[in-house]
Amino acid sequence: MKSKFRKNKGRRQFIKEILAGTVGLLLFRHKKASAITSPVTTNRLRPPGAVSERIFPSKCIRCGRCVEVCPYKCIVPLDIKEGIYAGTPLIYVEDIPCYLCMKCVEVCPTGTLQPIKQNETRMGLAVIDKHACKTWNEELALCRTCYNVCPFKETAIKLDQLRPVVIEEYCTGCGLCTHGCPVVTKDGKKAINIEPIYSQGPVKW
Amino acid sequence: MVEKKVSLKKKRHSKYRPIRFLMLFLAFLLIAITPYLNSKLHFNFVQGWFQSLSIGKLWFVSPLEGLESILTSRLLYGPLLVGMAIPVIIALLLGRVFCSWICPISFLSELIDRIILKIKGERHRKGANPLPRALIWYALIGEILLALVIGAPIFVFLSPPGLVGREIMVATIFHTLAIEGVVVIIVLLMHLFQKRFFCKYLCPLGGLLALLGIKRRLVIQKEEDLCVSCGICKKACPFTLDPEKGQSLSPYCWNCGECIDSCKTGALNFKWKSL
Repeated sequence: MKSKFRKNKGRRQFIKEILAGTVGLLLFRHKKASAITSPVTTNRLRPPGAVSERIFPSKCIRCGRCVEVCPYKCIVPLDIKEGIYAGTPLIYVEDIPCYLCMKCVEVCPTGTLQPIKQNETRMGLAVIDKHACKTWNEELALCRTCYNVCPFKETAIKLDQLRPVVIEEYCTGCGLCTHGCPVVTKDGKKAINIEPIYSQGPVKW
Repeated sequence: MVEKKVSLKKKRHSKYRPIRFLMLFLAFLLIAITPYLNSKLHFNFVQGWFQSLSIGKLWFVSPLEGLESILTSRLLYGPLLVGMAIPVIIALLLGRVFCSWICPISFLSELIDRIILKIKGERHRKGANPLPRALIWYALIGEILLALVIGAPIFVFLSPPGLVGREIMVATIFHTLAIEGVVVIIVLLMHLFQKRFFCKYLCPLGGLLALLGIKRRLVIQKEEDLCVSCGICKKACPFTLDPEKGQSLSPYCWNCGECIDSCKTGALNFKWKSL
């Protein structure tokens, strides 16, 4: 039925369809509709003190001063491929985590990153993948890298019978544990990942 | 008659062009070295570029960026308003001087002009006026409306004055160039094909500053007795405005002083209008 339809319309129509298909594929090749979905996902976090992701792209003027001031170069400005999120700052915690120096928070001119204390920062929450973690699945009982690198040791992360446990109340989501974790799972994540669970919070007026 | 001759001799050298070019150069130098100072030496006294700039505790935010952020998020933030205050006051009093005395696109355009002058031995003068000047207002309104429709100030991300600074920062810190830098190249190519095409017709920031500067105090005024209607000032003007016909008083004039430099009789000069 379909081929008959094409025959009737002729070769021109067929070529047009092929062209449209190619263009469509090229446009939506990478990720699912990246132009309008937020880039904030597991291990992809906003800098400290960020306002809710609901208004982040409309409040941020893409001046990039947080990127410039970051001494660890952990904040990266997104490029034009991210659609309406282009130019907004993002931290890739496996590459370079946030060391909570709180410099970016001080320089933001629009209040998109709002003044916040180091220990009150909530960029996300560290979640341990107990199947991937060598200490939890008892392959390698002595690894406790995440515990060692945590800036709030014994507050945000504790050892329960030598196995790391995240204390959700105090975890800042800085990603130092993710950065340090030696395990890489099949999907490119670590055995401890930062989930940005606070990013869709209510808008404070 | 004797007096006129004296004034003719006096006005031979250009007065504002060297100062303005120095100013543009210093402004460009500022945004060129601050990423290095910040990232390599951790010297944060001067920070940012012409989207948002801080010198110590003195903060500036580009009015267009600030306005769009306020409009799209519908939130007011005190420090943002304070940061916008100084640029807005400058634009209200002096007009579009940011464009002609500070903007890095101006610097790059003038640099291209100077290089062409060195190579060809003649001034880069393609100064027709193919489009209506009012286009700049539509560019401004269009940009703001589009930002409101999309819900994010996405076009300030592509606004060339800020883009140059961000490209330099990305190049210094990440050792790459972001693809949006193509916009700067397009703008400079436009300048080659028509003098200051982007600044004249399309720049939304320029449009906003021109809008603020409609009732500016600093204007270029002609003295009727000295003007000989030679038409040199019109050729010198980067916007092809005609100061002889009083177009230097229009909102489109950006107070660069090129016409004052070009005038052989000293008929044109900056004037501080009192209310």
